[in-house]
Amino acid sequence: MNIQSIKELTDKEGIVFLAYTGFLSQSLISAMMTSLEQETDYGGLNLGVSAHIYTIFIEMAQNMMNYSRDLTALDNSRKPEGIILVGKRLPEYYYVESQNVVDVSDMEKMEPKLAELQGMSNDEIKKRYRELRKSGRDKHDVGGGIGFYEIAKRCERLEYSFSPAENNKYFFNLKAIVPMKKGD
Amino acid sequence: MNELLIEETQYTPSIKMSPEGQIEIKGKSYPENTFEFYKPVMVWLTDYFVQDSVPSLKVKFEITYFNSSSSKLFFDFFDLLNEHKDSVGITIDWCYDEENESAMEAGEDFIDDFPDLSIKLVTV
Repeated sequence: MNIQSIKELTDKEGIVFLAYTGFLSQSLISAMMTSLEQETDYGGLNLGVSAHIYTIFIEMAQNMMNYSRDLTALDNSRKPEGIILVGKRLPEYYYVESQNVVDVSDMEKMEPKLAELQGMSNDEIKKRYRELRKSGRDKHDVGGGIGFYEIAKRCERLEYSFSPAENNKYFFNLKAIVPMKKGD
Repeated sequence: MNELLIEETQYTPSIKMSPEGQIEIKGKSYPENTFEFYKPVMVWLTDYFVQDSVPSLKVKFEITYFNSSSSKLFFDFFDLLNEHKDSVGITIDWCYDEENESAMEAGEDFIDDFPDLSIKLVTV
């Protein structure tokens, strides 16, 4: 592995932030956020666009931290690891992309939700988000259960894929496109 | 009632809840476990409303960005305020930077979800 080839790849893809985390923790996410804030600050990005990027980044990173599976394990044990990056294709858009390992049951739960989101308009997503948020004061899992909706309502386009890996698991790839505002 | 004070971190807001009826929540909100983090806040608020005489309540939110579970939690927080709005005077300022459209939209959504609460959008 030649580290220069990573540099060439990030330049080509417009990647401004890239993290492979062998062990993802809350303090690491928070450090990544500080670095990302500096990047968007430096880029003179509108606060509205930055806030979308931050929130999507946090949702993806916390999903990876809470739900990633261990690829090498034969069972469904968890391992908080994955790849996350932020890139830009100026002047049109920024994107946030993540990849982590899921198992079959995760995929079966996530896939229909994501497919549905892709077919919905932004107004429909916002409406559904608010309906789900109302679902009872004591009904909480680790997250709010509305993470994908949070990501979807803050981006223009959501792309995803599941690629088969070993041990009955899949690489889950999620990409959110955040358009620049006119005048930025 | 005691005052509840929580200091700001890189991923949690500063929180100040005073028995005289002032609440201020300011900063970023994406805790690792949102419901654990905000538990003392919800407990304090629940206790506040069962006092013999409840002072009117002035709430100020100023959140730059937050994760989806914080959004759910804020909804629950407003829901609790909503339950007591008829017996206690409650005013809420939802503060945001005017460039931060998503923070403004979040405030508008709460206004739509709780039409009987007095929520005011304030640019800072």
